[in-house]
Amino acid sequence: MARHIALVVEQALEDGPLTRRLVLRDPDGWPLPRWKPGAHLDLMVPGIGPRAYSLCGDPAATDRWEVAVKREAASRGGSAWVHEALRPGDAVAATMPRCTFPIAAGANRHVMVAGGIGVTPFLAMARALERQGADWALHLLCRGAPPCGDVVAALGPRAQVHDTARAPRPAWSTLLGTPAPGLHAYCCGPEAMLDGFAAATTHWPKGSVTMEHFVPPPLPAAESAVSYTLRRAATGEEAVVEAGGSMLAVLRGLGAKVNASCEGGICGACEVRWVEGTPIHRDRVLSPERRKTHLMACVAQCASSHLVVEG
Amino acid sequence: MSPTPAWTGLVEHLHITARAFLPMHAQESIALVAGRGIEGDRYMLGIEQGFYSEKPEEGRQVTLFEVEVLEAIQRDYGVELLPEEHRRNITTRGVPLNWLVGRRFRIGPCLVEATRLSVPCRHIEEILDKQVFDPMIHRSGLNCRILEGGTVRVGDAVRPE
Repeated sequence: MARHIALVVEQALEDGPLTRRLVLRDPDGWPLPRWKPGAHLDLMVPGIGPRAYSLCGDPAATDRWEVAVKREAASRGGSAWVHEALRPGDAVAATMPRCTFPIAAGANRHVMVAGGIGVTPFLAMARALERQGADWALHLLCRGAPPCGDVVAALGPRAQVHDTARAPRPAWSTLLGTPAPGLHAYCCGPEAMLDGFAAATTHWPKGSVTMEHFVPPPLPAAESAVSYTLRRAATGEEAVVEAGGSMLAVLRGLGAKVNASCEGGICGACEVRWVEGTPIHRDRVLSPERRKTHLMACVAQCASSHLVVEG
Repeated sequence: MSPTPAWTGLVEHLHITARAFLPMHAQESIALVAGRGIEGDRYMLGIEQGFYSEKPEEGRQVTLFEVEVLEAIQRDYGVELLPEEHRRNITTRGVPLNWLVGRRFRIGPCLVEATRLSVPCRHIEEILDKQVFDPMIHRSGLNCRILEGGTVRVGDAVRPE
């Protein structure tokens, strides 16, 4: 459990169509780590694995984290667990929040467009922007009642709900306005909406638009890193590691018992012997001689199509 | 007449936290328990709520960090790392922690023995969202086991045994 943040469900609220909002706290009420508006975390779904959800509560509240989850008909397990299994008092393990969708630092006007449950990161960002005294607008597009409707309403008139079941969807140009210095546009929603947003902003200045896909950022790949097939010499099992992907994670996925600690290439805990291929060493601890036979799985990448390791 | 110690220092800040990831909490005093850890801290033996609790280690009973390193990181890298952010328990001033591996020294009334230098971890960057991993290499503090317990207070002397 120590590898994750221990939380308990304080409240599980029905908060819009097929939407459940969880209020999570430390089991003993200790303050939780700070996070940036726009951040998401992974909830560890028992028997399934991590599922990413944006934090949608007030970033200034240090004693609680909130996520809102839509029940997906084709749930891969996460939303079904949130909606059907979790009860107040249940223990939940989470990762540290990570912000890959931050408020643009240099902007002075912020236009946010959300599709349905894609509103969640903006609920946190809008509160932070309001507190900063920034100029912001939130457009929530949904069919019927919005998710987290009371929270959206409490944001005031800068937050507008567009019920596309009752009126045509506004044009992108109406929602976003025209690009101008200091104006930043954000979008979070279904892929089709993100495609529309991307098309509508192709002429905007570079760096003035951002989209949230809910895909964790990849590790920065070495220039020569390629996707490769990793094979355990001990068992012959193989798996593909994406270019720049985590060899450590893939090895563990293959059942290898690989120790790890710093996961930054200096503690030496995850040293693995390699026997074939062209590893890219990115650690700071192995000597040139040692690198001829060993690598650090937490940071190593690969320049060949195959890599065979012991362990 | 005993020789003058080569160095003496002070306890400048004290911090503990109950669980991995949670913010460290400033204390005016902490209770060191010989052979176990600090009352209320995540690495106290019997509690084991720390990020590394799955890898028990005597030297995790109490950890120290130099305030001079915080000042150097600000100076050299322009990164403000606060005393509650390095996640060690005791922030010292005037104590050459890197000299002390394998040595015994007093922190207030307590006697500790340094087991190894601490190493930085990506975990801290994850928690802080600050790029401090590289700046902390080789100056990330000291791990110690507690030989004689007692109460350590802010302002207490740190001195060689």
